[in-house]
Amino acid sequence: MANIRKVAQLAGVSVATVSRVLNHPERVSEKTKNRVLSIMEDIDFSPNALARGLNLRRTNTIALIIPDIQNPLYTEIARGVESIAHRNGNNLLLCNTEKDVAKEKSYVQMLIEKKIDGVILAYTGLKDEDFQEIINKEINLILCGMNSASMKISSVYSDFRQGSALAVQHLIKLGYKRIACITGSDRYIENREKVQGYIETMERAALEVPPHYLVHGDDDINSGYLSALKLQKIEQKPEAVFVCNDLMAIGAINAMQKAGFNVPEDIGVVGYDNIVMGSFIDPKLTTVSWPVYKMGILSARILLDEVNSKSEDVYTQSILLKPKLKIRKSCGHIDRVSEIFD
Amino acid sequence: MDLSTDFMGMHLKNPLILSSGPLSGSGEMMMQALDAGFAAVVTETILNDIRPNVRPRLVKSGEGLQNIWLYTELTLEDWKREIAMVKEADGTLIANILAYSPSEMAFLARKVEGFGADAIELGISSPHGEGIEVIAANYDEMYELVQSVVDSVSIPVIVKLSSNVTNLSLVAQSAQKAGAQGLSAINTVRSILGVNLENQEPLLPTYGGYSGEPIRPIGLAAVATIKQSVELPVSGIGGIVDYTHLLEYIMLGAETCQLHTALLLHGYHIVPKILDSTRRWLEDHSFKNLGDVRGAALPKLKAFDELIYEPRIVRVKHDCPCEDCEQCISTCFYNAITKDKEGKIIVLPEKCNGCGLCISICPEDCFEMVLPIE
Repeated sequence: MANIRKVAQLAGVSVATVSRVLNHPERVSEKTKNRVLSIMEDIDFSPNALARGLNLRRTNTIALIIPDIQNPLYTEIARGVESIAHRNGNNLLLCNTEKDVAKEKSYVQMLIEKKIDGVILAYTGLKDEDFQEIINKEINLILCGMNSASMKISSVYSDFRQGSALAVQHLIKLGYKRIACITGSDRYIENREKVQGYIETMERAALEVPPHYLVHGDDDINSGYLSALKLQKIEQKPEAVFVCNDLMAIGAINAMQKAGFNVPEDIGVVGYDNIVMGSFIDPKLTTVSWPVYKMGILSARILLDEVNSKSEDVYTQSILLKPKLKIRKSCGHIDRVSEIFD
Repeated sequence: MDLSTDFMGMHLKNPLILSSGPLSGSGEMMMQALDAGFAAVVTETILNDIRPNVRPRLVKSGEGLQNIWLYTELTLEDWKREIAMVKEADGTLIANILAYSPSEMAFLARKVEGFGADAIELGISSPHGEGIEVIAANYDEMYELVQSVVDSVSIPVIVKLSSNVTNLSLVAQSAQKAGAQGLSAINTVRSILGVNLENQEPLLPTYGGYSGEPIRPIGLAAVATIKQSVELPVSGIGGIVDYTHLLEYIMLGAETCQLHTALLLHGYHIVPKILDSTRRWLEDHSFKNLGDVRGAALPKLKAFDELIYEPRIVRVKHDCPCEDCEQCISTCFYNAITKDKEGKIIVLPEKCNGCGLCISICPEDCFEMVLPIE
């Protein structure tokens, strides 16, 4: 069988040299490169033939559907998906639903018509029956951000209840008792889970959650700003606030500072997502990090594995990526070693 | 002299394995290690996503090295090619992987198994770039990670352990219970190599991992602790530079040994030297193979209440040939060593408390311990 070793032997070079010809031809002399390439042709050695499957029915195109192209979180997922798609010689179609389920459904129809190889639904608003329709059309499907236990669909997701519990536990550990929460849009399961994690953690610590401590935001900077203004009007002001995403947290900190409150001295703030901007604001934002880029990478890897596998070899994979507390300054934490290690 | 070793079902031509690190960062580099005489190689730590490395990231002082190197900068897709290169040449390869949840770890494990790895090493004990407690310090978390990998692959799974834990014995037991087929120890030790007095800056800008000769005693103690806690085969790591160090690890029960820092500091030529000298030592001592000495020193490690308290003291074995050394005099904190009228080194028996320090201090081997009646 033609393999890299055989090529090396026939060309009178090392395996490493053959590998260099394939991957870094610029590091190999023209003469050696030509010799190796001609031997590859002679013995019909094609390193990528197996990996790519050479299925003629393929379009070598996959799609990613995201809810909001302005949210850096989803663009990070897209970045991850794109890097793997490109590396494996696939095109990527990016669809932005603007959190509109009807738009998402129309995108799915368009993708089905285009007979693409596979689709990744990130934080989808679709339901099991929609998933089934995609699968029926023999299009590989990955759910990014949610785990569909009822259907055999591979997924990459994070545990938002656990993530918000980490944030709220941290605030409680720092001595805060009156802890409010600025929620995201409750149309999305991840936002509902974050609120659930907040309430459960407060209850476990026997801390009160008066109704006005739950302020409803809409996932963007402006709604964070407005939510913080609402919190300032409460008579018994909270000592700290858990904000369900970083964009809203940045808006909230801005509103508090404009109103003359110091963060964290007057009010501690913890966000969620660990977007890059969070470490550039003053004070630096303590937040919950969850590997969004990695979710994109893994979703694409699993999707392409499924696309490239024979159907009998495909098995459902549900990969949970753990959230992690990223301690900085906005929460009022002072010990520096936690900032370095955690 | 046959140095071959069976390690978790892998038949290795000798017990030396290149440990995970910069020198195992590509297929080409690992081939170089195999050519130098290593029986197997462990890849640099492979992750799902790449974390770029800072520059500089290595600093040396004496025989110790601090690194703030994180993990591979090659993608998982790249590793398919790098691993294939080693496997095409029939090399034995252990893939070192790191992920943060059981399902993610299992995904990576299945991937590298598919790429052709002969075994997996879980790199869950780096002292830097992760939490203040290494992942392997949390028994429950580690148990879940190990179990998910063991359940997902059919190749052997090794857990790499750290001395940066409170109870290494429990960690090892947890790994065994989770189904690990082997352990390796130790990972680098959390360190700050030094501070530049002139600019008042640490030599590297964050906490790092310490490796090289100075950590060998820590590695030896870890291997002994593991071997006295679990039944699993162990790959001893830490400070191996010559054959005596290899034999020390083997005598404390290690099946194989891994090294890396010595190669960074001294080059690959030490590998055949270690192997040749080991063979010669075994022959000179009429041992047939490494199995004859493996674990030989372990039963001699005692509990304090098993030790015999003999009132031994030091006496001068032979006259000291040095005129001005006097290291023994200045270090004896019982003031038991002095010079007589002729200038000869003598020990005052009534003052000697038998601590033994002078025996290892004396460059001329002038002292020995005896019972006062001898």
